[in-house]
Amino acid sequence: MAAGNMKAVKLRIKSVQNTMQITKAMQLVAASKLRKAKEKADNSKPYFKIMRETLIDIAKGNTDFQSPYTKQVENDKWLYIVIAGDRGLAGGYNSNLFKFMESETKGRDYMVLPVGKKSVEYFQHRGVEIFTDDFAEVASISISECFGIAKLICNAYSKGKFGHVLLCYTEFVSMMTQTPRSTSLLPLADFEAEAEAEGEEKKPVRDLILYEPDSETVFNAIVPEYLAGLLYTAINVSVASELAARRTAMEAATDNAGEMIEKLSLYYNRARQASITQEITEIVAGAEGN
Amino acid sequence: MATFRLQVVSMDGLEYDGEVQQIKLRTIHGDLAILARHMNYVTAIGMGTAKVVLADGTERQAACIGGMLSMMDNHCRVIPTTWEWDEDIDVARAMDAKKRAEEKLAQSNLDKISRVKAEARLYRALVRINSAKHK
Repeated sequence: MAAGNMKAVKLRIKSVQNTMQITKAMQLVAASKLRKAKEKADNSKPYFKIMRETLIDIAKGNTDFQSPYTKQVENDKWLYIVIAGDRGLAGGYNSNLFKFMESETKGRDYMVLPVGKKSVEYFQHRGVEIFTDDFAEVASISISECFGIAKLICNAYSKGKFGHVLLCYTEFVSMMTQTPRSTSLLPLADFEAEAEAEGEEKKPVRDLILYEPDSETVFNAIVPEYLAGLLYTAINVSVASELAARRTAMEAATDNAGEMIEKLSLYYNRARQASITQEITEIVAGAEGN
Repeated sequence: MATFRLQVVSMDGLEYDGEVQQIKLRTIHGDLAILARHMNYVTAIGMGTAKVVLADGTERQAACIGGMLSMMDNHCRVIPTTWEWDEDIDVARAMDAKKRAEEKLAQSNLDKISRVKAEARLYRALVRINSAKHK
């Protein structure tokens, strides 16, 4: 075995070791951040679930179409709020979400409100119409910013810029599984359609709902509120998903690097042994020759 | 007394889930009390103290700001922006916030946006102080 080859193997081991150090560090960082994020996501889950149930119930029982938020609209433009990560190296976290988006938006006229740097980059690259890219950093979004986004959406919605609003996020199922999901936000009638698609049967409306003081005032007050709330909780859940995905991906990468180092060291030692043996043979042969 | 199921959930998590006799709170339209078998009802919540009478008759109160209330088929869901049970309220902090907001409002050269913000802060602080039983 040539000495040059051995040197190359040694360099390769070194570079894999360096990579392993990085992946290991990223894994640890993700794991420590994950603990906090998971707590936040767990607190957000009941809000998201109960809020959606409530809105589906209201949509089912609603017979009042005074408010622009409940009216059936002919406007067939969709706004997708897409929550992705700020950084890559999180396994399939971002690409799964975008793949899911693609199947969702097939054949629809849509624009997006990207949240997260990766989301902004992706849609800019694909030339999709972007509603606003002011909310690029998903990690730093606060409740008050969510209220800002909700207000923006409400204003544009009442001006007729789009007729439907949908939210795409990644559900935190467990530490090991995260799945992309979508939920309707506006108009309210979309919630009913979604519940039906999920297998709930449509019941005829028997009990009317009383809105106080009146439906328009109530909806004007609660729509921005629930938009912001659902958005904020979805962001919390997505951030936890991202960190969990990153932790898993980096754990796998670290394991792989370890394995690679083992294989390479074995190869290196064998080569070293072979070269020593060869040298001895050469010396012995030389001594005999004399 | 007849009871109904009440769920209170805010962005900080599930605050209450169980049978209650009554809930009283302040909506954007004025004070409201919900008893069992109330008709289907939706309203937006204002700012004020919410009082809940549990199934065994004990009363709890909380500072409740913003959000919505829905009563559907004897199941009441209250989804406020903030909900703090009285024992969780940090009175000293609320007092502090009140003082700061008052100082801010005392300034004469305040523009409209910061005035509205300071007023909102003052109201929130007042609701918290009034909702805390122990002062």
